[in-house]
Amino acid sequence: MQKKPTTLLALDIISIILLGVSTYLALIFAPTEAVMGQVQRVFYFHVATAWVGMLGFIAAGISGIAYLRSGDLKWDRVEMAAVEISLVFFFIAIVLGAIWARPVWNTWWTWDPRLTTAAITELIYIAYFMLRQGIEDPDRRARFGAVYTLIGAVSVPITFMAIRLFRTIHPVVIGTESAEAQGGFNMTSDMKVAFFFALFAFTVIFVDLFWNRIRMGTLADKVEQLKLKVMQ
Amino acid sequence: MAEQTITTPRHPAKSNYWKAIAAIAWKDLAAELRSRELLSAMLVFSLLVILIFNFALELDIKTRQSVTAGVLWSTFAFAGTLGLNRSMAIEKDRGCLDGLLLAPVDRSAIYFGKVISNLAFMLIVEAIVLPIYSVLYNINLFQPGLLMVILLGSIGYTTVGTLLASMAVQTRTRDVMLPILLFPVVVPILIAAVKASGGYLTDAPMTDILPWLNLLIAYDVIFTAIAFMVFDYVVEE
Amino acid sequence: MFFLETPPDTSQYMVAGYAIAFGVMLIYIVSIFIRSRNLNRDMSMLEEMDKDK
Repeated sequence: MQKKPTTLLALDIISIILLGVSTYLALIFAPTEAVMGQVQRVFYFHVATAWVGMLGFIAAGISGIAYLRSGDLKWDRVEMAAVEISLVFFFIAIVLGAIWARPVWNTWWTWDPRLTTAAITELIYIAYFMLRQGIEDPDRRARFGAVYTLIGAVSVPITFMAIRLFRTIHPVVIGTESAEAQGGFNMTSDMKVAFFFALFAFTVIFVDLFWNRIRMGTLADKVEQLKLKVMQ
Repeated sequence: MAEQTITTPRHPAKSNYWKAIAAIAWKDLAAELRSRELLSAMLVFSLLVILIFNFALELDIKTRQSVTAGVLWSTFAFAGTLGLNRSMAIEKDRGCLDGLLLAPVDRSAIYFGKVISNLAFMLIVEAIVLPIYSVLYNINLFQPGLLMVILLGSIGYTTVGTLLASMAVQTRTRDVMLPILLFPVVVPILIAAVKASGGYLTDAPMTDILPWLNLLIAYDVIFTAIAFMVFDYVVEE
Repeated sequence: MFFLETPPDTSQYMVAGYAIAFGVMLIYIVSIFIRSRNLNRDMSMLEEMDKDK
């Protein structure tokens, strides 16, 4: 792999700047929320990282189908990158969700449909990597990865709907008041600025990380091929 | 251990397809009827699981009502992986899979044949567990609604399970791999089956149960379609 | 109206949250960097071996 293309370098720099600005907006520019205090600021990154997780999830599903239809291993590299990034960012989102929940609802975990589904998705991702680990042949590894990605991609939305249905019939009452009453807050316009900017910044960060990670995957495949050739 | 051969057909493709499915399903069922190793393993395991739940959960008369559905489906889920694992492992170890793949029949027929036999095993075990549980805990489990839920849930479970087991058996870690792959993906079935079963057991109104039934049916249909489209990729050499 | 209610001091949680967010992102970026560097090293070593053949 030769030098990084200048576009990518530029994207790296832009991503870092956007992250900085977004942090400023979330920590300083946005007003302090009246009921929850400073911890509410965690919300901006919580949603933004979950959003990146979602982007990765969708990208993985699409790449899986693309690989099965074309047999081109480049889609396998894209899929792995997408799953890895989604795994990392959903993890951050889940932890931030717990940190937010603790002072607000006096519990670390609320079995909220979105967070629970994210946690199940993490388990699917881990299973995905374990599956790939156990297969030697690169073509079979890619095929099985794509099939499992497809199964996961279809099952996760169904899981979300099932849990949501479960919760509407049996709302979990947390503490003394219902979760809805305590957790909600209205966003002022300043908060909205921070919120939407975070989404935008993290989308750019996702593209940057994605591109970087795919490049690394391509390099890894080249090394594998060269290794086979040299070791003959 | 007779090696199975599927004779070259002189019939039109359509009926050959169904014949292939039936032949594959029957091969497994017949073999199992003779050895009964799979069924006995699944059955004993299920009973042990129920025994453990008895001590783990304090199933006194009051709690019994609310947890029966959950205990049953946990048992079925665990015993199910046993059956799926053994079923596919037998296939691989005896080299039957390679023989089947050489047959001039659509690959999906192999898949559906396996699903039918796996489903049959699961249903047989469930059919034995239900009366035992009923006797042990003095609950009537033979309600048509509950039986239907068990059927629908088992179908979804074996549909996805057979596909994933076909993959798992080709990895280094084999048996361990299947539950890790299967459980996160089968969560909707478990949720819906437990809620629907619980609904029938507590005589809940149909409006409460219906959404869960719909979910089960939708899941079954969607994943049968997906497995049908994708099975080729799983057994390619 | 008689006294101003200040929001509760939950800033500890906020700090923890942002620390984890940045920390995990940093670890991930560094891991990509390290893995790429190792791969590049392997690549040049393999290219050497290939040339020698």
